[in-house]
Amino acid sequence: MVLDEIAAVWINYNLTERTIEHLWIFSIALIAAIIVGVLIGLLIYRRRRYAPPVFSSLNAIETFPDIALLVLLIPLVGIGTVPTIIACVLYSILPIARNTYTGLISVSPELLEVGRAMGLSERFILLKVRFPLAFPMIAGGIRIAIVFTMGIVTLGGIFGAGGLGAPLQTGINLIRPDIIFVAGIWVGILAVILDGIAGGIEASLKRRFGSW
Amino acid sequence: MVSDLLLTPIIQHIVLAYTALLVSIALGIPLAILALYSRNLQTFVMTSANLMQAVPTLAVVAIVVPLIGIGFWPAIVAIILRALLPIIRNTWIGLSSVDPAIIASAEGLGLSEWEIIRYVRLPNAYPAIFAGVKFAAILANSVAILTAMIGSGGLGSLVFEGLAGVNMMKMLSGALPAIGIALFLDASFSWMERRMVPRSGQSELE
Amino acid sequence: MTKRFGETVAVDRISLDIIGGELLILIGGSGSGKTTTLRMINRLIEPDEGTIAINGIDIRTIDGIVLRKNIGYVIQQIGLFPHMTIRENIGLLPTIEGWSREEIDSRVTELLTLVHLPPDQFMDRYPKELSGGQQQRVGLARALVMNPPLLLMDEPFGALDPLLRRQLQDEFIGIKEDIGKTIVFVTHDINEAFRLGDRIAIMHEGGIVQLGTPRDLILNPADKMVSDLVGSDRLFEHIASLTVSDMMVPASSIISGEMPVQSAIEVMVQSGSTVAVVRDRAASFFVAQLPTLLQRRDEVKTVLEATDPPFFLSMDASLLSALEEMKAASASFGLVMEDGEPAGLLLPDDLISRLV
Ligand SMILES: Nc1ncnc2c1ncn2[C@@H]1O[C@H](COP(=O)(O)OP(=O)(O)OP(=O)(O)O)[C@@H](O)[C@H]1O
Ligand SMILES: [Mg+2]
Repeated sequence: MVLDEIAAVWINYNLTERTIEHLWIFSIALIAAIIVGVLIGLLIYRRRRYAPPVFSSLNAIETFPDIALLVLLIPLVGIGTVPTIIACVLYSILPIARNTYTGLISVSPELLEVGRAMGLSERFILLKVRFPLAFPMIAGGIRIAIVFTMGIVTLGGIFGAGGLGAPLQTGINLIRPDIIFVAGIWVGILAVILDGIAGGIEASLKRRFGSW
Repeated sequence: MVSDLLLTPIIQHIVLAYTALLVSIALGIPLAILALYSRNLQTFVMTSANLMQAVPTLAVVAIVVPLIGIGFWPAIVAIILRALLPIIRNTWIGLSSVDPAIIASAEGLGLSEWEIIRYVRLPNAYPAIFAGVKFAAILANSVAILTAMIGSGGLGSLVFEGLAGVNMMKMLSGALPAIGIALFLDASFSWMERRMVPRSGQSELE
Repeated sequence: MTKRFGETVAVDRISLDIIGGELLILIGGSGSGKTTTLRMINRLIEPDEGTIAINGIDIRTIDGIVLRKNIGYVIQQIGLFPHMTIRENIGLLPTIEGWSREEIDSRVTELLTLVHLPPDQFMDRYPKELSGGQQQRVGLARALVMNPPLLLMDEPFGALDPLLRRQLQDEFIGIKEDIGKTIVFVTHDINEAFRLGDRIAIMHEGGIVQLGTPRDLILNPADKMVSDLVGSDRLFEHIASLTVSDMMVPASSIISGEMPVQSAIEVMVQSGSTVAVVRDRAASFFVAQLPTLLQRRDEVKTVLEATDPPFFLSMDASLLSALEEMKAASASFGLVMEDGEPAGLLLPDDLISRLV
């Protein structure tokens, strides 16, 4: 029975614990990426002239092969969860920061004109007008970051970070189709679900905050 | 000496990544064109492209093993599975985002379906296709390291051997050339992009 | 004042007195400096030269934010915040000012009623759930929320289709009476200018070409551009073919000279006329004006004592020559006679608004 085989792999390779571990690393990495990404987007918004150099460096990091980036981190922080999280954040800053920045600066000029004409302060306009209107954009950036993060957390499994990448590595090394299928399809489903949820949130933010 | 040791993996890496990239281009662009004319194919291609985009690369590489085994060709397949998606997606978006009025007027001029694709849709899609290929090239460069896990050889082998033997130099000798290739690719694609800009998006009919 | 943007002189040494309570129109071609003028009044931008004073106070001495909170601003693109409901949009400034929820709700209700939007239906909708005309009404309501004494409106109806524009203009005329504010109103549309404006300033290349009442502009256009804009020529062509009888207001009732002033006032107010024909015992005719009667009602007893000698016109006289004669005699109305009996009145002010 297929179900028995799945159950056997699931139990023998502790996939429940692995999944929890995986999602735990994922969540920490994503939250860190959101905080750092939004902050960088905001800082660049305040100091526009830093936008080109910051974005081109982030862009360069983005082109690095993920494994090469993990290798570069070994001399600095070794292997395991920490470098995995750092790599996730490094890759995810660009989409989040870029979308935050774009969202903040692309508020339509007449809204800003009216806001100023009403006597709203710049600070108020930033927090209560620009930010909410940038939400759909920021959510779009986070959605991209979710895909990146999911991919790198899985990859982290071969650099000692645990999670669902670890059983996949075992499966490949032992050439064990059962492990590969169960762990591979499971992590694929998780990724698609998370992406789907993010897509749903993004769409509803667009409906709620999007311009007409 | 060192350069000799590195040369073979670099060449293997480039052959691996760019064979896969070329096949992806050769498959992806026609598929996107076909998707224009079949609603079912379009739904299928776009949905699976979107879903697959989310799946972690390691899972894709792993699942290739039980299906077609290990070695160079399974690695190529794994890379194609990744690189195909951005190409199909971008090509389709570029092809289908032509102003319907322009299509209508081209039909009015008596252009055939194929001529409309050749002279109207494709020129409109060039910038998007180019961006898709750029993305796919960088992705292929990245996945080609990981495929060393399934016996593709190349720079990834140095990384994984280094990782197993806790040999930092060996790992870096795999990672650094790969980063170099990535930066070179990015820079040269950007350079080509800038040169293309004045002509991009202009229909040859005008 | 003057405002430059790099090489362009957007506003070129204009000088403008805005009278409290009036609706002043700024009209002119694209790029003539209308918006720039408005934006200097609420200090969204500062003039390069010159000063602006409100009630004698130089606005540079007032904090920009405080100033703008006291000046309503309405623009063509409306600029409702898409992420806030109608209630939140209108109630934004009161919320910042720390009003209570009940106060805000009652103010929003009041304003939505004023602009003809049923509050219970619209309060909790988002801007994109409203039509363009409805959005523009909310824009006006939002500008009025802090009850600012001055209102700046930049082509508020410019994006609406002609029918809706006309409807909003009609409503706005009503609202304008209710709110009694000083309004500076920018438009491209000369008909709108004539319908709404107490005075009209015509702008061209950053300067004011002419400033005056609609009547001044039509009868005394400063130059060819103004006459083209207000369509004086067209109007005159039309007028040339008309006679006095075409445009007079029929004399509905004739008041007897002995009638007490108070009763005459009541009669006129009831019939809605501001000018009435008065007959004395000797069957001579005079004209009574409502404002004069109101002014002098305590000094005089009968209507006759408060009348003016009329300027007589005959039915078949050409309208144009009649107007010219009246102007020469500085008469503000004419009494049209037929067979020795008053047939009607010719009122140039009313005539212009009817012709336009
Ligand atoms: N922020 C700015 N920067 C540079 N030039 C400006 C700016 N604002 C206005 N101008 C220029 O100043 C001139 C007057 O502009 P303004 O917006 O006042 O015209 P307007 O009369 O409101 O025109 P419209 O009817 O098209 O709205 C124009 O030549 C315009 O290009
Ligand atoms: Mg303007």
